[in-house]
Amino acid sequence: MEKIKQHPIVKKLGFNRIVLCAVLILMYILFSLTSKGFAGLPRILSALNYAYFLGFLSLGVTFVIATGGIDFSIGPVMFCAALVSGFCLTSHGMPVVLCLVISILVGFLFGCFNGYLVAYWTVPPFIVSMASMNIAKGLASVFTKTQSVSWPQAAEAAGWFRKIVKVGNFPVGLVIFIVAAVICSLLLNNTRAGRYILSLGSNKEAVRLSGVNVRKWEMLAYVICGTLVGIAAIFYVAAYTTVQPGYGDQYNNEAIAGCVMGGTSMAGGLASIGGTVIGVFIISLLQEGILAIGINKNYQLVITGLIVIVAVYADVVARRRKN
Amino acid sequence: MGDVILTMKDIDKSFPGVHALDHVNFEVKRGEVHALMGENGAGKSTLMKVLTGIYTKDSGTITYEGKETEFHNTREAQDAGVVIVHQELNMLGHLTVAQNIFIGREFKTGIRIDDKKMNDEAKKLFDRLHIDIDPTETMSNLTVGKQQMCEIAKAISHEAKVIIFDEPSAALTEAEIEELFKIIRDLRKQNLGIVYISHRMDEIKVITDRVTVMRDGTYVGTLITNECTKDDIINMMVGRVIYEDPKTESAVPENAPVVLKVEHLHAGKMVQDVSFELRKGEILGFSGLMGAGRTETARAIFGADPKESGDIYINGQKVTINNPQDAVKCGIGYLSEDRKRYGIVVQKTVAENSTMACLENYMSGLFINKKAEKKVAEEYVESLATKTPSVEQLVVNLSGGNQQKVVIAKWLINDCDILIFDEPTRGIDVGAKNEIYKLMSRLADEGKSIIMISSEMTEILRMSDRIVVMCEGRKTGEVKIEEATQEVIMNLATRDIN
Repeated sequence: MEKIKQHPIVKKLGFNRIVLCAVLILMYILFSLTSKGFAGLPRILSALNYAYFLGFLSLGVTFVIATGGIDFSIGPVMFCAALVSGFCLTSHGMPVVLCLVISILVGFLFGCFNGYLVAYWTVPPFIVSMASMNIAKGLASVFTKTQSVSWPQAAEAAGWFRKIVKVGNFPVGLVIFIVAAVICSLLLNNTRAGRYILSLGSNKEAVRLSGVNVRKWEMLAYVICGTLVGIAAIFYVAAYTTVQPGYGDQYNNEAIAGCVMGGTSMAGGLASIGGTVIGVFIISLLQEGILAIGINKNYQLVITGLIVIVAVYADVVARRRKN
Repeated sequence: MGDVILTMKDIDKSFPGVHALDHVNFEVKRGEVHALMGENGAGKSTLMKVLTGIYTKDSGTITYEGKETEFHNTREAQDAGVVIVHQELNMLGHLTVAQNIFIGREFKTGIRIDDKKMNDEAKKLFDRLHIDIDPTETMSNLTVGKQQMCEIAKAISHEAKVIIFDEPSAALTEAEIEELFKIIRDLRKQNLGIVYISHRMDEIKVITDRVTVMRDGTYVGTLITNECTKDDIINMMVGRVIYEDPKTESAVPENAPVVLKVEHLHAGKMVQDVSFELRKGEILGFSGLMGAGRTETARAIFGADPKESGDIYINGQKVTINNPQDAVKCGIGYLSEDRKRYGIVVQKTVAENSTMACLENYMSGLFINKKAEKKVAEEYVESLATKTPSVEQLVVNLSGGNQQKVVIAKWLINDCDILIFDEPTRGIDVGAKNEIYKLMSRLADEGKSIIMISSEMTEILRMSDRIVVMCEGRKTGEVKIEEATQEVIMNLATRDIN
């Protein structure tokens, strides 16, 4: 076992990530065997629809968790962004492009809000994000007068934006998502922002005493997260059309699960974008599989809940062993 | 003074690499206040920890109330009547005074906590000590002095027969110290044995009956307080050890330019009106006992902690340093005594730690130029002789001395001209220590200016060109290396007898 772990190729790809890939493939085989018609393009495309918006949420929260923080507002903020921008489109007749920008802007502003409070006012991230979760839900409800919002169908002229998910049967969304993941990976591993975000997640005081403006970079992590959440909202409506106010928190857990499963440490300082991507695929396949087998959908909540606990516990054990 | 209540004989204790206690003797009589003195690291705290069961002794005997005893934990010691009043108070601020005193052994009626009885009992304790504290008051509303009195009351409530005060006056005002002494005298009258650990010479003279001095883990001797002078005690504290390789004359020319000038620096209680100058190529030693305010001074200069007033000049130019960013821009680097907490990012590699202070110089466009980063890190690994398999090694896997070198590399790569070394060799083994010394001398020769805070007399006398001595937040003197002896420094580092 140790030998396999030390192999240069395994080391390069990451043992953890190889295991996750194996799990993903096993899950796919398992679902295909137990559910008739699971194997095949439609199910895969459907699972991908789920993976896109969840993936952007998960990428975003990876940056926050890398600082040692947490964001429980990502799901509701995504819904808030989708509702506010959708309402601008359907009730105010604004152009689609502008509405997409508004969606990203809403996420960005929530990111600024969370990040400022955490970094400059040193309010605990847990509290900040819990509060902004409610703020996002409340604002969305007020803005839309508690009405759900439906984005235009693909057939309509204004429905062109759905092409970001797929054109024909070609999964454009997958390409965009992978490109976004690569950019995030570069951002995290090859830029100052990423270097400082990871470093301050590991030892904030040491980074501060190196003359680095830690507040700025810590806030930036939340801003990046918020912006990605705004993009997630676009993929959500492109795939699922209708958004209802007052929801969204069910996705927090799934996004965080995808992230920690992939090897990002809740204690901060360690993060893997590649791991997050695979984690997101596993969660998406899981929900599609549960849907296909026809067992109670709520089991998915139970399973993702357990995944978070197991993944975080594994991280705690690994840390204890190191010390 | 009554009969002997506690005797510690031939106590021996080693930790890996350190002989912390070398056959130490100590005794306390009923109705006496016995001072325990010694430099930092002399073994006072270790001895008391052995007594109260926090550490297990390797050999030796403890005789308490005529019986040979060994306590296995503080609880056992407490139950037998041996209690420590710590320097840092272990009080829960949100509870009342009485609740704090009886924590863990609350009076109960059924399952309900009987607060009334606890308040009454606490009142009785305070009456016994002749202090006026309301048992129902919330702890956090009390001053530090009053909180300490609650600690004492708590100790008494354990039916204490021996009370150990570990630097009790460090956080107190003059008036509070007076009050503390009144209580201690009271306890002495009640025939308790009292151990009083303190650096303050004047207090020792006022309150204690005998003084036991320790040095480098050994027992030096015991004196009767009113038969000895401050000089007697200092001589025992510093001993007549010949220190390795002391510097005999300053390597810095008289007319070397002043690179850093600090004037009337104030930052909290621990930094009061500190002024000094640092010359180019100089190693300026900062000596003093624990709690003298040296680290606080360094942190205030570096902008790590806020300062209240005072001016800082670099190369004659007045600068404003509000945070570490400003300091780094001024070319100041700070190596903390606590590397793990303040120096390195353990989950990052040697290369990543090396460029932490000046990453902007290793960018090509938006991206980090990892090749250039690696190259400069390797350069400094070589020139500082850092032992690491590669610069891609995580610093967590390096030894203390090599971690220290990574921190030094970080500041050198940033081209800092002023380096503050805070206890640069703490927790580093002897071989690595010598390497750090050589490195510091080399840096000074190359024209870097160094402030070296050290609690080790050897280190101070060996490395410094000039020595600033601090005591309780104030600069008490400045000594040229040619005139520096342990006695001179220790005299400045301890408070004078009023």
